[in-house]
Amino acid sequence: MKQSLRRIGLVARREFMAAVTNKGFVIGLLLMPAIIALLFAVFPRVLNRNVPAVRGEVAVVDPTGQVAGALRTALTADAITARRRESAMRALQNAPTVVRDAATSPAAIERTVGAAPELTILDRPAGADLQREKQWLTEPVAAGGLRHIALVVVHPDAVVAAGRTEYGSYDLFIPENIDDRLEIELYDAIRESLVAARIRNHNLNREEVEAVMRVRRAASVTVAAGAERQTNIAFNRMLPFVFAGLLVFGVMIGGQTLLTQTVEEKSNRVIEVLLSAVSPIELMAGKILGQMAVSMLVLAIYIGIGLVTLMSFAMIGLLDPLLILYLVVFFLISYLLFAAVFSAVGAAVNEMREAQSLMTPVMLLLMAPWMFATVIGREPNSAFAVALSFIPPVNTFAMMIRLGSATPPPTWQVLLTMIVGLAAACAVTWFAAKVFKVGLLMHGKAPDMATLMRWARQA
Amino acid sequence: MLTALALRNVHKTFGATVAVEGMDLVVPRGALYGVIGPNGAGKTTCIRMIMSILFPDSGELSVLGHRSALEAKDRIGYLPEERGVYRKMKVGAFLIYMGELKGLAAEDAAARVPRLLQEVGLPGVESKRCEDLSKGMLQRVQFLAAVIHQPDLLILDEPFSGQDPVSVRILREHILKEHRRGATVLLSTHVMAHAEEMCQHVVMIHQGRKVLDEAMAGLRRQFDPRTIHFEPLDENATASRLGAHANVSSLSAVGGVERIETLDGSYRITLLPGTDPAAMMSRLASAVAPARIELARLTLEDVFVRIVAEGSHGKAASDALRASVTAGSEGVLA
Repeated sequence: MKQSLRRIGLVARREFMAAVTNKGFVIGLLLMPAIIALLFAVFPRVLNRNVPAVRGEVAVVDPTGQVAGALRTALTADAITARRRESAMRALQNAPTVVRDAATSPAAIERTVGAAPELTILDRPAGADLQREKQWLTEPVAAGGLRHIALVVVHPDAVVAAGRTEYGSYDLFIPENIDDRLEIELYDAIRESLVAARIRNHNLNREEVEAVMRVRRAASVTVAAGAERQTNIAFNRMLPFVFAGLLVFGVMIGGQTLLTQTVEEKSNRVIEVLLSAVSPIELMAGKILGQMAVSMLVLAIYIGIGLVTLMSFAMIGLLDPLLILYLVVFFLISYLLFAAVFSAVGAAVNEMREAQSLMTPVMLLLMAPWMFATVIGREPNSAFAVALSFIPPVNTFAMMIRLGSATPPPTWQVLLTMIVGLAAACAVTWFAAKVFKVGLLMHGKAPDMATLMRWARQA
Repeated sequence: MLTALALRNVHKTFGATVAVEGMDLVVPRGALYGVIGPNGAGKTTCIRMIMSILFPDSGELSVLGHRSALEAKDRIGYLPEERGVYRKMKVGAFLIYMGELKGLAAEDAAARVPRLLQEVGLPGVESKRCEDLSKGMLQRVQFLAAVIHQPDLLILDEPFSGQDPVSVRILREHILKEHRRGATVLLSTHVMAHAEEMCQHVVMIHQGRKVLDEAMAGLRRQFDPRTIHFEPLDENATASRLGAHANVSSLSAVGGVERIETLDGSYRITLLPGTDPAAMMSRLASAVAPARIELARLTLEDVFVRIVAEGSHGKAASDALRASVTAGSEGVLA
């Protein structure tokens, strides 16, 4: 027994060293954060380079005589930028100050949403012919000329209410191919100028009214028995996906390497040399443990990066440390299950190409949680989510998403998921070990599922 | 006599194919046994069963006093026919790893590696990657992986297949050295000349059955040679038809000769059964002056073909068999 454990340890150590001293491993390790950084830093810039700075005219029919002037002010480049900044501030209300300041500087806003449009207001008489004005929108414009962007028709009762509280509104006509972001700018500007005109009409002070209306949204604090922590809606929404992602990622890293290494050992014919020194079960156990260590190392690095990031933004209080423990436990369970399958497939086939057809269902199972992630994340305690928590092999992923959500499941469900997961992992490992044992020395035709079943019965 | 290895009535089938049938084999400790037979005879299956890589359908096995090789793994060295290395691993690291798996402490293994590599003519390759070695060099490394822990039982499946002559010589020396150290050696080969040169005892397998289990010395006595190679001193005599004829008549006149075949510049003389080869050689030498006269050595091929041909096989079958076991017929490798 002691000898057996020693050999398992030796195999595991070799697997681990072979994996982490591989150039590909280091590259792969850096690739993931690099891709994320790329998505956040470069992608938006690439996207926005395509948004042209718009120069154009907006025609206004204003029977009230009070809106057009206000609109002219509201549509200046400065006013547009100010509004954009304000809405960015609102969106980032819960983000750390460093991020908020960086993201809402005029330069940053211009970078993310492009330069503010240059719009000229054309006053049309109150009795203007609407059909002709609409035609104006579709008239071709000479190259370099100002585009005809919109026709705003203000209702006569838009500023002075006909009844006590029912104000009129406005109609907005736009030509085809108007950027939806520009359209939103127009809505905002018109709303702004209508409100300004109405306030003036009531002889109210704009600042006072705004002050009366403004209520800063509080960051809620989640109260658990004996502990309180900050709550952040965006963070809470992201968290389940991050954890489920880490889980899938960890299983993939170890599992894939396990598969390729086993196939390589078999096609290299090193396997029989090994079998003279270790039993197939020792070999399989050693390999699974070795790759598990590799996956754990990668997860530890990523979790470490994540924690450092949270700490540097003073957001560490948002994370329940118990979640990391759960992640490790669920990782071990799902890794064991999938690793056994990966190694059995590796032992059964002669080369990677043959592994593909057997791997497809396995990969689908591994990816399945992603399909349900949104559903589970939104309603973590729905009957569907609860049911999935007890169906291996997706149960661990489903439970991880639920645990990361704002309304975590009861403890008995978590424990049941663990028990079901472990039982499934043991059953699958038992089956996989048999396939592994028989498959190792089999060369020739790639086996199908039926053959694997027969091997398992034979062994 | 202590037994290193014993098989009793072992059977193994793969689907409808009978790979090994009723195999009995006893290898005493310290012996050097050769298992010979053509490709597909069942040699590798036997060896894999001895190594507990495959398990017999029925029959009993005993390896170094244990019921299974699994219980004595650390005392067995095994060089499989299908042998490989980790291509990306360094030679030294690979050998140390194999040594450790076989129960050596890491330091012991590390201390042995440079000396062993030196001995097989590969000094200083420890730090090279396995993929950077030639095939012959790799096979010597693989051999070292099988003996690094100084096993009591060394099992070599086709150790010489695919080897260049230099590697064959080095390997042979080291196998004999392991044997002198006290290891029991069992090697399989389809090249009978190799077994003939090295082994004290040969076991022949044909179509999954043991057809011969004899000490080489006993074999030589049992299959007594009746062929004498004779090369006359006067080379010109064989060149002219007249001279050749005169030689043949003189040699035929010696009593006890069954027939004479003329080869290029020499004769192959087959004696009548029961004649004493020593007496015949002196009588032939006095009939015609010889440049060289020698008793043809028994070859295992001859023995094998004779044993198998005694069955229902015709001449074509025995020729085919002979071709498949002829020395150097490496191309026939499955």
